[in-house]
Amino acid sequence: MPKLGTSIRIASAVAAAALLAVAVAGTAAAKPAHRATTINGAGSSLVAPALAIWGPKYASQTDVTVNYSSVGSGAGIAAITAKSVDFGASDAPLNPDQAAACGDCVQIPWALSATVPTYNIPGVHSGQLKLTGPVLADIFLGKITKWNDPSIKAINKGTSLPGLAITTAHRSDGSGDTYAFTDYLSKVSKTWASQVGSATAVNWPGGVGGKGNSGVAAVIASTPGSIGYISVAYVKQNKLNWARMKNAAGNYTLATGPAIEAAAQTVTKVPTDNKMSIVNPPKSAKFKNAWPLSTFTYVIVHTSTPQAPALRKFIFWALTPKSQHLISNSFLVFAPIPKLVLVAAEKTLNKVHS
Amino acid sequence: MSAHGLTGPSLRLDRLPRRRRVNRVMEMLAWLAAAIAVAILGVVIWSVASKGASELNLDLLTKPPIPFSFTNAPQGLSNAFAGTLVIVALATAMALPIGILVAIYLNEFAPPPVRAGLGLALDVLAGVPAIVVGIFVYGLLVVGGGGQSGVKGAFALATLMLPFVARTTAEVLGLVPDSLREASLGLGVPRWRTTLSIVLPRAAGGILTGTVLAVARVAGETAPLLFTSSLVGPQTSWNPLHALQTVPLAIFELSESADPKDHARAWAAALVLLLFILFASLTARWLATRTARKLAGR
Amino acid sequence: MASVDVTHPARRPFTGRRVHLGDVLLQTVAALASAGATALVLLIAWKVFDGARPSISRFGLSFVWHAVWNPVVGREAYGAGSFLFGTAITSFFALLFATPLAIGIALFLTELAPRAVRGPVTALVETLAAVPSVVIGLWGILVLGPALRSYIEKWLHAAFGFIPLFGSPSAAGASLFTAIVVLAIMILPIVSSISRELFLGVPRELKEGALALGTTRWEMIRGVVFPYARGGIAAALILGLGRAMGEAIAVTQVVGGGVFVHWNLFSQGDTLASKIASEYQGATSNLDQASLVYLGAILLVLSLVANVTAQWIVRRVARRHGVARGGHA
Repeated sequence: MPKLGTSIRIASAVAAAALLAVAVAGTAAAKPAHRATTINGAGSSLVAPALAIWGPKYASQTDVTVNYSSVGSGAGIAAITAKSVDFGASDAPLNPDQAAACGDCVQIPWALSATVPTYNIPGVHSGQLKLTGPVLADIFLGKITKWNDPSIKAINKGTSLPGLAITTAHRSDGSGDTYAFTDYLSKVSKTWASQVGSATAVNWPGGVGGKGNSGVAAVIASTPGSIGYISVAYVKQNKLNWARMKNAAGNYTLATGPAIEAAAQTVTKVPTDNKMSIVNPPKSAKFKNAWPLSTFTYVIVHTSTPQAPALRKFIFWALTPKSQHLISNSFLVFAPIPKLVLVAAEKTLNKVHS
Repeated sequence: MSAHGLTGPSLRLDRLPRRRRVNRVMEMLAWLAAAIAVAILGVVIWSVASKGASELNLDLLTKPPIPFSFTNAPQGLSNAFAGTLVIVALATAMALPIGILVAIYLNEFAPPPVRAGLGLALDVLAGVPAIVVGIFVYGLLVVGGGGQSGVKGAFALATLMLPFVARTTAEVLGLVPDSLREASLGLGVPRWRTTLSIVLPRAAGGILTGTVLAVARVAGETAPLLFTSSLVGPQTSWNPLHALQTVPLAIFELSESADPKDHARAWAAALVLLLFILFASLTARWLATRTARKLAGR
Repeated sequence: MASVDVTHPARRPFTGRRVHLGDVLLQTVAALASAGATALVLLIAWKVFDGARPSISRFGLSFVWHAVWNPVVGREAYGAGSFLFGTAITSFFALLFATPLAIGIALFLTELAPRAVRGPVTALVETLAAVPSVVIGLWGILVLGPALRSYIEKWLHAAFGFIPLFGSPSAAGASLFTAIVVLAIMILPIVSSISRELFLGVPRELKEGALALGTTRWEMIRGVVFPYARGGIAAALILGLGRAMGEAIAVTQVVGGGVFVHWNLFSQGDTLASKIASEYQGATSNLDQASLVYLGAILLVLSLVANVTAQWIVRRVARRHGVARGGHA
């Protein structure tokens, strides 16, 4: 064996052994102080930024650690159904089959945010691109294939759009953002409704799949000419370009806190299962600044669960105005949930017992 | 055994220049193929080594990750390293004894038809893709069985390790000379003591080699853990009764992120993982040469 | 497996008169472990087919070639067709790219390389074999995909665009083509190390005999080495194929996802294994999950066929060479 090869091998062996020793020592030191309770949750990546703020804040005030795994709304529903976690998080409400499979599960709306069409077009900066529902549907149906298509140019006079091919990006995992996005497209495009429909996972007519909101963000950031839909917090975090959407009232709005709050006003009465859809708010003056792709996000728990006391305390805490305002800033762009929904949420939460 | 195409007429001397030219071309193609392959391999390993080394720091091993952090606060993957250590150790503890017992049965006790059947079963087990093992363990243990845990992840990894450990152990047991067994039995030592106290220790080096190689392979497995130990938070835990984060899964998640800081941590973790696997393979090879010398010489 | 003389008294199964409790105990425990290992195999097969049962009873055998995947409630339709196509096309082309390179490297290492180069190159190949698939996938997403997208795909399309395989390049780094390159890199070490060992195992007398007849090196390789190693290389290729078919993680990282049967290698797609990896956690319904397990069952059958075939070839070749060696003086 050549001497150089041997020395390299010995060196890397020693290095590996040293790293191993440090790893053991370091991870033992990194172990947190003993906590009385841990509640485990999994699901929606849309609400993950909120939980990233809520978790540490709650831990600093109480003795409880909140462990959250951002795996997508679909996986959250599957996890809570299988009782792999104490709570599931999903932006999409349970459909009848899922509700039946989950048994005594209840869904409680605990945050309000939105999904945003996000793009990467050379020369077009953030907030510059304007889109309408039908045009967006046609893009994702594969009917509009280039950025300088007449239908896009018609609504973007004054913006120079390149003749670049459009690549659509979508979620490959079961996603609440997909649910909200396809719910909206189904409402603004009959073709979409009949050809594709709405769910946490659909049969996309084309495009590239990304795992989680961060996966789609990665695809868009690295693919010129791409457009996808991402939760607004990820758009901000990754400094991507978001589009203006034309709402039913005829205004081109951005996904800001006030715009999302306006959309939430569509809810006049909360149904018993808390299932609400606030995409595509209607035409009236109340919604003239509403963002048409807003969505509530739910925490799903079993009515009868051994972790009931800890879960109730945490979710009540999350529903308080103070906690809601913690996440309603220009960075995370959640909006405080309306009073009406808050009341319904707390009523549902009261049903949870050990 | 006939050599093809090497009949008299095709080896004509007057065709020699042409044959020499063909030979030259073929040799160049082989050099070219080797060069391309080496270039590709070199690029892959260089990418991991250089990108990983530049991002490698102690924080990676000692600090937990901070999910969705807007700041540049130091973070690492301590939860993943702890979890991998625990789960791989547990998997080895499960696979090693069973593997040795299977090898003992295969080598010392099994009649020929049973041996053929068992050999086939082990070959089939070795051919099951890791993701199918994940589905299997998910359906068997996770669903309706209380959810994910490090132990269940270890079981999935042990399923992957078992055929390899059993086969290599059986091979090494077969290499132990029969004269040893004969001598022991001749002295009146019962079969079981012969096997456990005489044959097994002679094969110990080879068994260790096989185990270390199996550990090296399984330390980088992602698919089975996706089903059994993936719903994890950022806290570092050594308790295998809950789901634990592991290094391959952490790399998987970070690789699909849009944040360059996440990519940096992924490269660094990949380098550490690769170094560990190389270290294990080197140890295995050194043990193998030592064992071979022991069993052959003396 | 080393060949063992089972009739040797030291190896005979326990039948003797001196009944030692320890002997019975050891044999029983070892037999139980072996029974357990065998049961494990059967359990895996049973669990997988049992998990797929809701989908099998709903869609039957036509699931296998039906190229559809629609989880939307009210229009559910699942089928393996497009993923089977994806698995076939990615594995086939990965094997196609990897084989000449692997054999080239094996030939290089055994016949052509100067002594000084052999060690490092062998070490390089072995190191690549040690790289976990998730790391190759990481490299594929961050390094290979963008490079392929920006340079190679454009060039291939410009030069060979008339072939449907090299259709319009994708703007994203993720595509079937990236997956093919990743898989080729992963199976290269397997095929090349097996080939190298086979070439090293060709009896020197055969090689020297041919050279003494006046053959050139290439003629000797073609006439002696290849025929001798042919069976083993076939087995190596099939093992590589099995590996490529079963790879889930690296492929799901770079393949892009899609339910299509496109011939354009630069488009996105999915394989059986990568579809399971990306969708299983978030399956929307029991039927969705059962269909994913059905994909797993198909994958299991394919992998088993590949592996058992490879083993059978290895055994046939070993027998033939054993006879041949015994036959010659």
